[in-house]
Amino acid sequence: MVAAMARLDDTASLAAAEAQISRDAARRLDIAFRGGAGIFSILVLLIAWEIFARSGKVTAFMLPPFSAVAERIYADAIGGELWRNLWVTMFRAITGFAIAAVGGIALGAVMARSRIVRWFFDPIISVGFPMPKIAFLPIIILWLGLYDVSKISIVVFDAIFPVVTATLAGLAGVEKELIWSGRNMGASERELMWQVALPAALPQILTGLQVALPIALIVAIIAEMAMGGYGLGGAMMSASRFADSRGVFAGIVEIAIVGYALIKAMALIRRRLLVWHQETAERH
Amino acid sequence: MRATLSYLPLVLLAVAWEAIARLNLVDSSALPPLSKVGLAWVDLIRGGELVNNGAASLYRGSVGLLLAVLGGGGLGLCMARWRLLDVFVNPLVELFYPLPKSALIPVTVLWLGFGDGSKILLIFLGCMIPVTIGAYNGARGSDHALVWSARSMGANRLRMMWDVVVPSALPELLNGIRTALALAFILLVSSELIVSQQGFGYLIGYLGSTGSYEGMYAVVLTVAFLGFAADRIYQLFIQWLLRWRD
Amino acid sequence: MDGQSQIIIERVNHTYRPPRGRPVLALSDVSLDVRPREFLALLGPSGCGKSTLLYLVGGFLPTETGRIVVKGKPVTAPGPDRGIVFQHFALFPWKSVRANILYGLERQRMPRAERERRAQAFIDLVGLSGFEDSYPSQLSGGMKQRTAIARTLAFDPDILLMDEPFGALDAQTRALMQTELLNIWKRTPKTVIFVTHDVQEAVYLAERVAVMSARPGRIKAIIETKFDDRDPGLTRSKEFVEKVDELWNLVREEAIKAQSIKAQENQEKKPSS
Repeated sequence: MVAAMARLDDTASLAAAEAQISRDAARRLDIAFRGGAGIFSILVLLIAWEIFARSGKVTAFMLPPFSAVAERIYADAIGGELWRNLWVTMFRAITGFAIAAVGGIALGAVMARSRIVRWFFDPIISVGFPMPKIAFLPIIILWLGLYDVSKISIVVFDAIFPVVTATLAGLAGVEKELIWSGRNMGASERELMWQVALPAALPQILTGLQVALPIALIVAIIAEMAMGGYGLGGAMMSASRFADSRGVFAGIVEIAIVGYALIKAMALIRRRLLVWHQETAERH
Repeated sequence: MRATLSYLPLVLLAVAWEAIARLNLVDSSALPPLSKVGLAWVDLIRGGELVNNGAASLYRGSVGLLLAVLGGGGLGLCMARWRLLDVFVNPLVELFYPLPKSALIPVTVLWLGFGDGSKILLIFLGCMIPVTIGAYNGARGSDHALVWSARSMGANRLRMMWDVVVPSALPELLNGIRTALALAFILLVSSELIVSQQGFGYLIGYLGSTGSYEGMYAVVLTVAFLGFAADRIYQLFIQWLLRWRD
Repeated sequence: MDGQSQIIIERVNHTYRPPRGRPVLALSDVSLDVRPREFLALLGPSGCGKSTLLYLVGGFLPTETGRIVVKGKPVTAPGPDRGIVFQHFALFPWKSVRANILYGLERQRMPRAERERRAQAFIDLVGLSGFEDSYPSQLSGGMKQRTAIARTLAFDPDILLMDEPFGALDAQTRALMQTELLNIWKRTPKTVIFVTHDVQEAVYLAERVAVMSARPGRIKAIIETKFDDRDPGLTRSKEFVEKVDELWNLVREEAIKAQSIKAQENQEKKPSS
């Protein structure tokens, strides 16, 4: 039964593992983007795709040429379908992410301050974080139906865990001298939380958000695939059901672009918010 | 004793669940009592559904993850040592990292159908990148002094890879695998939920659509527990493997 | 109320309780009086509890046994009458130099124009003009510590608690900062308790040096170190060198004891981990 002995530390280390991967990927994304290497490699990939698809080694069903896929995306964009799906997916993913962000930071902050709240949520967080929460999707559908509420709920349910652990770890890591300085200058407990502890924990909280964002996207798309309806995931799934391989590949390209843009935006926000931080100073 | 006390909240949740369901505070199909879920679990084990479907899922998950670890780990280590490979492959890693991996589900179905192959491919593709990044970073961070001293002692490239680079890359590589493990569960369950005729995810969907919600809850909790237990066991494995560190 | 002692420390014990392992007696029966506007150094080997004593006076740690009285009132909590400067600066990294200094003034509810003026005055005092809008991460160690000192002086505490403030600086910066601190102290005289393990620093800066023993920390001796003129040349004078020598003899044996305590602890730690 050793396996069931979970401490929040164990979960925090999972969070740290995920954060490390995501932070590094975001950093290299940034360098690639700036250096143009990313654009070059995209071009090479697309040309290789086109040549391979036209070589006759694969059928157009298995791999339609990129030009055909691009045509399809263009047609969807003209027809307006693309924008509708894009909007719906972004709305679900970002709303869920935002709720998870605010709720996760708030819960983490309350847990850091109240022993009872901490005692109650500690095992729930440490057992819940490594669970594949997507398995609860059918239960959430059972409770909340097939519409946006249930899709956003499963996104929140999945994305909130890294935010809570990051907030807790960040607040626990605030140097006591910093808190003492604030207290020394006459800050109240409330002011200490808002003006000292949370800003000091911000780098780690942002890292938590950077882990949560891809999770929110992954889950939003799974939820759309499972429940159908509008959205990039739903459109891809129905294309797959009708053996419309161009539609499937159009979906992949669209989702890849959305993922790239969102993660890039998040890295930019981080840099904006952390102008004061060492990591930003080092980069210039 | 302290461990028991710290788990009390979970017990309280379980009791609250039972009470809410028994008192009919919510529709009993939406939330069957925990005790009935437990009975349904026993039935599913006895009937063999849980075991058969579980075996299918575990097979897909472990093969996919194993391929991802071998492929991703090998790729990451080689990228760190051979500059030419680094230049060509690194941008691709960057390109595919932000892709929400669930978008690969319909593509793998298109290529390999509804069976084991598509799930294994999905997990392989989805889980490879975190492993690659972990291995690459770990190997890049390996101490130059160690590499040079191994070379000077006459180790050839392959030997040195195994003796010096792999051990020093290990902590970060293992971190990457841990992330991949969590991702494997997500991709496995969701792909089975969406398109499959076998596996945990399929069983959850099937029981839900036939209205046997106790069974559905039982399978969901089983999968959740397995994901949690896999992470803990893996963590103990890491601790054992890295016991030479302070 | 300008009596003989501004700070009275009476029979204070302090036990440090680590989350794991045995509790450690950090301070044992410490009594010490500090006079108004005195510059007192607390000198001792690392781990002797001198910082703990400082934190107790600051009200950051609760006084368990004995009592600490500041200006006639027992210490119960931190307050802006006792400003503290830490070894690692404890600046708010997300605030500029100016915003760091303003923070304490905002908390004192000082009117806006007044606090802007005051912040600028202290920026000028510590020689940071031109760096008002820099973030701490863009400053050198010496500049960070100047900012921290300005931040604490700005809210005008009667008592300045300094916890090895120059311990993280390189030797040259350290010498410069010592002279500067003396200049500031001459211009705005405050009661200073200055924690250090550097004998020369203690003799150069302080009027009195309280030497502490290795753990558990006790006051081993209190030595007067008054000199007529404290310019940097003082450190080469015969009387200064003799004072340093006298104190060094007192500290040395404690430092050796402290090392063996530490080695013993590491031994104890090993089998369990």
